[in-house]
Amino acid sequence: MISAYYFGAISLVLIGLYAVLVKKNVLKMLIGLSIMETGVNLLLVSIGYIYGRSAPILSEGIGPNQAVDPIPQALVLTAIVIGVATTAMALSVAIILYQKYGTLNVEEIRRLRG
Amino acid sequence: MNVQYASLLIAIPLITAFFVPLMKGLGEKAIKTYVLIITAIQAGIATWVFEEVYTTGKPIIVMAGGWRPPVGIDLYIGPFAALFVLIVALVSFLMAVFNFRAVKVEPIDKYAMLFLLLMLGATGMIATGDIFNLFVFMEITAITAYALTAYNKTGEAAEASLKYMVLGGIGSSFFLIGVALIYGATGTLNMAQIAQLAGNINPTVAQVALALVIFGLAVEAELFPLNAWAPDAYQAAPHPVTAMFSAFVVKAGIYALARILYLMSAVGTWKNILHLLIAMATLTVIVAEFSALRQRNVKRMIAYSSVSQVGLIGLAFALGTQAGVDAGVFQMINHAIIKVLLFLGVGYVAVQLGGAEIENFRGLGKRMPLTALGVTVGSMSAVGIPLFNIFWSKLRIILATVDAGYAWAAALVLGASVVEAVYYFRLVHAIWFTGEGERLRESAPLVAIMLLLIAIIVAIGIYPNYAWSLSQKAGNDIFNVAQYIKNVPLMGVGA
Repeated sequence: MISAYYFGAISLVLIGLYAVLVKKNVLKMLIGLSIMETGVNLLLVSIGYIYGRSAPILSEGIGPNQAVDPIPQALVLTAIVIGVATTAMALSVAIILYQKYGTLNVEEIRRLRG
Repeated sequence: MNVQYASLLIAIPLITAFFVPLMKGLGEKAIKTYVLIITAIQAGIATWVFEEVYTTGKPIIVMAGGWRPPVGIDLYIGPFAALFVLIVALVSFLMAVFNFRAVKVEPIDKYAMLFLLLMLGATGMIATGDIFNLFVFMEITAITAYALTAYNKTGEAAEASLKYMVLGGIGSSFFLIGVALIYGATGTLNMAQIAQLAGNINPTVAQVALALVIFGLAVEAELFPLNAWAPDAYQAAPHPVTAMFSAFVVKAGIYALARILYLMSAVGTWKNILHLLIAMATLTVIVAEFSALRQRNVKRMIAYSSVSQVGLIGLAFALGTQAGVDAGVFQMINHAIIKVLLFLGVGYVAVQLGGAEIENFRGLGKRMPLTALGVTVGSMSAVGIPLFNIFWSKLRIILATVDAGYAWAAALVLGASVVEAVYYFRLVHAIWFTGEGERLRESAPLVAIMLLLIAIIVAIGIYPNYAWSLSQKAGNDIFNVAQYIKNVPLMGVGA
């Protein structure tokens, strides 16, 4: 069954991709990348989702048969951490770019070419 | 010795990298020496692993925490991984020597840490046996590579790093979607189990997943639509890092691509993916060769040449035959050797004469004759002249391509070699037959490294049999998926 979660996740990915490809401002491109990562994370979580079950934290009343697949959730935790690291790295590069070029417009940041 | 100690290949660089900031007060020399020692230890362990794998003929499976796969994450160090982990460690060691000359920008402690983490990331990508673990190591490699690209803190470096980061971010998202689809279809992330179950996946799902994974890895592997970052990053990065990018970061990417491609070879629509990859690889070769022709900066020119040679490796892997994979591995070994030599030579010239523009190379034969010899041998070999190593691997690729029925691709490889010859001979001509100059003193350790690499290049050029038999074993490791599945002691769950 194709659920609404998949549509939501893929549309987030596409919105992010659109922002990365079309926007001229470096910060908007980086926001696009973050949106894209969020979409991918949602997709991963929804692949492990089973209708009507709860989060995979074993506690009173929730055994392995009442919980959703825990592996995608572990993957998403890792992916979120990696995403944060990439974003931080990218923003610090954006700061250097602004110091050296005085602009964040990608069309004006073009010293390397050919 | 217990083979589980092979996990030190991952553990040592990871632990030691985070001790670097503690040494900040000891000064630049101490930190560079520390990196040299760590890479030497890593090379020692890698040599031991290589010996172990090639004498017993059996792969080393490291099981994390003692759990058998697929419950635990395993490292699979087969003939291919053993060979390339050794190459990664040796190249890192040589570049750790080069660091003393080439890297002057502060903060050296951050540089040393990123240097070790880059080595770790590539080692992990090559050794891992789990597809999500591969993603994590790919991101370690990528994030350190972004940071190292921007390390010189010039505007160009930041620009190159940004390009790399945007493409890398898109690539890793695609890769992760591919992984999600594969996980959704098979319920596992272990490579051996994926290979076992690949035949049962719905062919359309498998095709989309594989295409997404290939696009994701194509960023690291520098295949055509996603390689715009490569020349910029190569030009802007510190010289030792450029050599590392070309020698093993891109190799790790293309290996991961080939590994996942062949794991899924039981999929019904596999041939379509091969066609996609052949198209991407041939376009990579053509576009990169013609771009290289117009460059005035030698480092950028060699970067384009590196991209085109990696395209050749991609082409060899995309043929889907045993001969193609063997030839691809052979080209990977040879390319790693000559690109280390070329980037070392060019980087050293840029350090001594203040830039890698072609003007600085005029009269190099009189000013720095030994470095000039190194660059010349590297260039001759890259073109594919007999008696040098690349000749044999290009020959093998052409034979494999014709065998698989892609004669047009073989013609393309030959055409590309002609274009390559034009710009490399222009460089060699500028070095030996133009310009004048006083002779400069050349650094003894760097000259020793260059002479060693020249000796290896000529040795493989004259006696290719040993290197070829190594590549056949390593190629078989990638191609023979049934053997791969048999080697991994899977626990009977899930499937």
